[in-house]
Amino acid sequence: MDAAMKTTFRIALAGNPNCGKTTIFNQLTGTRQHVGNYPGVTVERKTGGFRIHDLAVEVIDLPGVYSLSSTSPEERVAFRELVDGGIDLILNVIDSGNAQRNLYLTTQLAELDLPMVLVFNMIDDAKERGLEIDFEKFSAFFGAPVVQTVGSAGNGMDDLREMIYRIANDPAPRRPVKPKYGPKTDQAIRALTEAVEPLLRPENRRIPARYFAIKLLENDPEICNRAEFASLLQPAEEWRGKITTRNGINSETLMADYRYGVIAGACREAIQISHDRRRQLSDVIDRVVTNRFLGLPIFLVMMYLMFLFTFVLGEYPMMWLETLFEGLADLVNALWPTGQAEFFRRLVIEGIIGGVGGVLIFLPNILLLFMAIAFLEGTGYMARAAFVMDGFMHLFGLHGKSFIPMLLGFGCSVPAVMATRTIESERDRLTTILVIPFMSCGARLPIYAMIIPAFFALRYQAAVMFIMYFIGVVVALGCALLLKSTLFKGDGEVFVMELPPYRMPTFQSILIQMWERAVMYLQKAGTLILTASVILFVINTFPVRTSFTQDYPAQIAAIEHDQTLSEEERSREIAPLRGAMRAELLEYSLAGRIGKVLAIPLQAVGFDWRVSSALIGATAAKELFVAQLGVLFSIEDAEASASTLQQQLRRSYTPLQAFCIMLFCLLTIPCIATIAVVRRETGSWALTGLQIVGFTVVAYTLTFVVFQVGRLLGIGVEFLQ
Amino acid sequence: MSDNDLISSSLEDYLEAIAEIIERNGHAHTKDIADRLHVKMPSVTNALQALSVRGLINYQSHSPVVLTSLGAEKAAVIRHRHAVLKRFFSEILKLDSETADSAACRIEHLIGETVLSRFVVLAEAIGERDDCRELRRYLEETMPKIATSDDSSEWISLDKLPKGKSAVVMRVGENLRGVKKFADLGLVTGTLLEFEGRAPLGDLMRVKVMGSSLSLRASDARYILVKVMS
Repeated sequence: MDAAMKTTFRIALAGNPNCGKTTIFNQLTGTRQHVGNYPGVTVERKTGGFRIHDLAVEVIDLPGVYSLSSTSPEERVAFRELVDGGIDLILNVIDSGNAQRNLYLTTQLAELDLPMVLVFNMIDDAKERGLEIDFEKFSAFFGAPVVQTVGSAGNGMDDLREMIYRIANDPAPRRPVKPKYGPKTDQAIRALTEAVEPLLRPENRRIPARYFAIKLLENDPEICNRAEFASLLQPAEEWRGKITTRNGINSETLMADYRYGVIAGACREAIQISHDRRRQLSDVIDRVVTNRFLGLPIFLVMMYLMFLFTFVLGEYPMMWLETLFEGLADLVNALWPTGQAEFFRRLVIEGIIGGVGGVLIFLPNILLLFMAIAFLEGTGYMARAAFVMDGFMHLFGLHGKSFIPMLLGFGCSVPAVMATRTIESERDRLTTILVIPFMSCGARLPIYAMIIPAFFALRYQAAVMFIMYFIGVVVALGCALLLKSTLFKGDGEVFVMELPPYRMPTFQSILIQMWERAVMYLQKAGTLILTASVILFVINTFPVRTSFTQDYPAQIAAIEHDQTLSEEERSREIAPLRGAMRAELLEYSLAGRIGKVLAIPLQAVGFDWRVSSALIGATAAKELFVAQLGVLFSIEDAEASASTLQQQLRRSYTPLQAFCIMLFCLLTIPCIATIAVVRRETGSWALTGLQIVGFTVVAYTLTFVVFQVGRLLGIGVEFLQ
Repeated sequence: MSDNDLISSSLEDYLEAIAEIIERNGHAHTKDIADRLHVKMPSVTNALQALSVRGLINYQSHSPVVLTSLGAEKAAVIRHRHAVLKRFFSEILKLDSETADSAACRIEHLIGETVLSRFVVLAEAIGERDDCRELRRYLEETMPKIATSDDSSEWISLDKLPKGKSAVVMRVGENLRGVKKFADLGLVTGTLLEFEGRAPLGDLMRVKVMGSSLSLRASDARYILVKVMS
């Protein structure tokens, strides 16, 4: 296809993880980016656009991969994009300080026979480390022009743009040199290429047959599974056998051996090492941070600091947002024509502003949390954290990378579930997602804060609180072990992880990463939460009770017109009446009725219809449990008058029941926002359903055991002094 | 043992050395010969007398050594054989030039004239004949792959490597799960690595490969055999 005929010139950015690819992407596109997901996998698909003179360019940031084999979702995605994506030019970003490993991908990209530019990034870093690189030699060796850049400082970006422009306007751009793999192997490749040629599907014609031949020889699962190549599996196997016996090497690593051989030769010629200082600094840090004894304590301190940063710093903007939404509700209230469309007024204020606002106030927390994570990821510490925690997590069938998302679960399950994206193994990732909501999140805290002081003397309070968190962790890890030995059973996948050299991330990249996550949170979780809030509002409101046990409206009106009372006395007398009326309304509503039905099975765990009904509210957001319970106990503003509610509760329930309420709230169905994000991140309603059912079963069973055993033994019948 | 045709292998060395020195300097002095063969002067005098007796050289003390026509012919044969053998060892068997040279010398000394002359014909044929081209290509490809240190008793598995030690990967076991993934990250035969330490609690280990650290499980590292670097 003629480049000039097309409206946009398509570029793919390819490179290893940690090579600074995303920084280059950000430099090229600025803020004109689009982040989405590849269908079916949770690999982010980032595209962006920019112009060079009269040329419109579309750039795709491929996931960072070490190889183009198809052994991970990232590799499959990168491979498909390159093969089927109509790419005009590949920008292969290479970490200059680690060229030997980075060029391994280059040898494979070269096989695609697309024009390619070698972007030697972080040359400042390489120079500092004492590497003198002869870029001309690399250019000649791979048959691709070289551009030197420092992505974080924006150096070399103009050169890169000019290079792109020149290649786009070149009618016959240079094609990369295909590596040679030694006489016997080349012979095998030639033979297979001839056999592949007639079998190629028309849509793959852009990619040379030789590429597929190499993949067949490599026994690449994706290519070998393609129906059109079924007849070639046998010959490919035979060639592998021949090569293996001749060269005495493993057939699986056959091509890798050759490629690294080729690269070692090129690097020996093109790179001179004068000293190796920077690397040593990185090593010194690692000697401390990943130390057998110091590693864990250091990690825990880092995590503690991260939490402090997120929740302490996040508190202020959270308060501002709360005030903002309250103000908004007041404003709507004031502007709304009195008495008109009363239902819609309440829907807007209580349902939409209350519901969506309740979720939006967590945005500062989420932003800060992701800022901290982006920072730790950018420096390279995250890989060390996974390394340090791996031993502990391995006891539960998970590996180190699962630890951070689970820890984040103490804050909020939504960002925690989103943070599982760093886990490569699909089985481990799904297991982690499914158990994360057991971690006692911040929204459960108001429940504990209300119940614990009401039922437990001061000296027990901290212990009870700790027990709640502890139970959450134990159940989460227990379920992980269960899942890994049943549903997600299988040989542990091989675990190799690169610990990249420490670096200072750019502020821009941290901000962009943080923003991407925030937008995702707002878009997807937001729409679902809006719907859920409206539904909850409706079931809390309808059907509307018209006749009450007492004539509340009349009584309220009477008090309001009673001139003998002061303003203060009037509102003090009206409040309980309003509360009682709301309680009756709620009891009559769908939520109240569902609560009464739920109370039948829930009796066995010690709950009455009020607690059961409040649990429905907790499904929207855990902290709504308190508000809903407040309403049911006829208290106008439950949080403001916590002590009144606490007295009421103490009269109605035993400490055992109270403990069971907390236990159930901890373990039961996660909130709507979590369900939404789990659905999105697992891409499966079945797994989301499994989580909902599983949590209900776990919560019911455990609470049942605790309640029944406690009752039989007579524990927690009276207030613990 | 006074066979005129057969000269001792040490005398052959002298003859060869004299021929080379004459070729380079135009004339050969006793001193040059002694230097070249790392022997003492009296030994040289002894040998020169023996060569002279056999009519291979003209030798008078205090004047340069001259080869007789018989001596020149004999020296040419010896030098040709040595060159053929050396080329065979270095180009066909792919040994480095030092090893090839010393192997050529040793073979000349060990096997008798009869076997040697036939062996030289074979070596020459493999190295030069057109119908041996396929064979040469095969050897070209196979020889470098033969591990130079076949003493695999020195190899240890990666998980046994002492901390802080460097080693070269000699073999990546077939029964290692996901060999490919290791290969993609650079763990292939011939890679230089350094064991940097273990993770707390578990069996993860940190190994420096190329520019950065890799972490892998000790249970996987068992299948990677390495040779410790001194």
